[in-house]
Amino acid sequence: MRAADVARDTGARLAAADASGMNATLHWSQSLLDRQAAAIDGAPAGPLFAMPVALKDNLVTVDQPTTCASRILAGYVSPFDGTAVSRLRAAGALLACKANMDEFAMGSSTEHSAYGRVLHPLDPSRVPGGSSGGSAALVGAGVVPAALGSETGGSVRQPASFCGVVGVKPTYGRVSRYGLVAFGSSLDCVSVLGRTVDVAARVLAAISGHDPLDATTADRPPMAAPTSAVDLRGRTIGLPREYFPEDLDAGVRAGLDRTIAALEALGATLRPVSLPHTRYAVPTYYIVAPAEAAANLARYDGVRFGPRRIGPEGGVRALYRATRGEGFGDEVRRRILIGTYVLSAGYYDAYYRKAQRVRALIAGDFARAFASGVDLLLTPTTPTPAFTAGEKMDDPVAMYLADIFVSAVSLAGLPAMSLPVGRSDGLPIGAQLIAPAFEDERMLAAAAALERTIDATAEVRG
Amino acid sequence: MTIGQGEVRKVAQLAEIAVSDAELPRLVEQLNRIVEYVAQLDAVPADAGDAAFTAGPERVALRADEVRPVPLARPPAAMATDFIDGFFTVPHRGATGQG
Repeated sequence: MRAADVARDTGARLAAADASGMNATLHWSQSLLDRQAAAIDGAPAGPLFAMPVALKDNLVTVDQPTTCASRILAGYVSPFDGTAVSRLRAAGALLACKANMDEFAMGSSTEHSAYGRVLHPLDPSRVPGGSSGGSAALVGAGVVPAALGSETGGSVRQPASFCGVVGVKPTYGRVSRYGLVAFGSSLDCVSVLGRTVDVAARVLAAISGHDPLDATTADRPPMAAPTSAVDLRGRTIGLPREYFPEDLDAGVRAGLDRTIAALEALGATLRPVSLPHTRYAVPTYYIVAPAEAAANLARYDGVRFGPRRIGPEGGVRALYRATRGEGFGDEVRRRILIGTYVLSAGYYDAYYRKAQRVRALIAGDFARAFASGVDLLLTPTTPTPAFTAGEKMDDPVAMYLADIFVSAVSLAGLPAMSLPVGRSDGLPIGAQLIAPAFEDERMLAAAAALERTIDATAEVRG
Repeated sequence: MTIGQGEVRKVAQLAEIAVSDAELPRLVEQLNRIVEYVAQLDAVPADAGDAAFTAGPERVALRADEVRPVPLARPPAAMATDFIDGFFTVPHRGATGQG
């Protein structure tokens, strides 16, 4: 197989996806695919030889625009590659396209893109999840086997669950964020979507490891691509009771029931645990993340990059306000305003400092569960399958609650992943595995064992 | 705690974001919805003496404190709307506008 052939086939699939109206790509070109393929064919084969990988459009690349699906970065092309992108190139991957996303990674449905919503690959009336919805839709539709996304509060696991693919958020600090456009710096993680656990694990292994250009990367060697566990004898899986409420969607519950049965069949021991502060995860997240976003997005002012608007007064402050007022979409503006509010004089202690203390309690819950002898935790990834487009657009809090099962992990900085475990009325259901910090390989090995025993496309009884 | 129109205007000024009068009522409603929602943290017994969360690895490996140029594929001028003689330019300082 030559990379040139892969490039041609990838271009054909991307063109077909665009023609279908899925709206999952923001930029790609056949000539760029062909140029990359020529370089790959002319070099020693790397561990990801000619694997087409889509990139969420908040990962900077020198040869394609990076817009974060925002008007404020229209036409921006980075002068450098991010570290994850460089490592993919070095491993021989074919960078297929830039994928659509919620603007600046703020959203749970990919409806908050300045370039239009992304359609769910199985049901165009529904959302693919977000914010990495373009990446998830492309993998779910079989356009690419893998994609990079980013997580701040579940933005890879949630769309992976909706689209029926594998989504892995590594331990905070496992993958360099150099070249990932910053949103919430104490939360952001470059993350991976894959058609299978093996594909996702191999991509994650290629991009992981310490990076001198990002001091928040852990001083550890790159992650090894884990081998699949033969069985799970000796493993104890905790079931946090707060993640299995009475009103959990019947299809999601049925998907989790068959996952629990599969784990038992593989020899694992299951037992209930409690994570009592989980219910505060979403409100904590929606203080911490907007506060950090308000600071990080201050750089978009129309001076150094992106288009600028001159306000009616004609001065520099008017330039800032007009550029940011017109350049940011509704959700980004809301989050910047909330973030600015909770950091402002008189409110900092009541909101931000309090949230950081509650965040410590949430992380402490996980630490206690793992210290009690639990190797992994199992939960639903989302409370429902993919919801209908437009359903939550008028109520920001309703949209935020789509992330109710994924945000606590992000606050605690732990590795977690979503694995497809069945379908309910044709829509994928995801199960979430959570591991202690830097036990990503343990989690992936268990997921691979589960993947072998569960038919992810089988209908479950709701 | 509720946020009024005046407070939203003030926060928008701090955030350097233009907000029109027409969009203000809806913005006030949505921000209040969010503030009411996150206010449930008031009920959590986490006091001033409790530790706050710190993100990041257990140890940070710092690189040598020396200047190393970052190789750029294209110069800053290529990114900027207006760039003259090595400087990003903005409208004249005399027209700064007031906050």
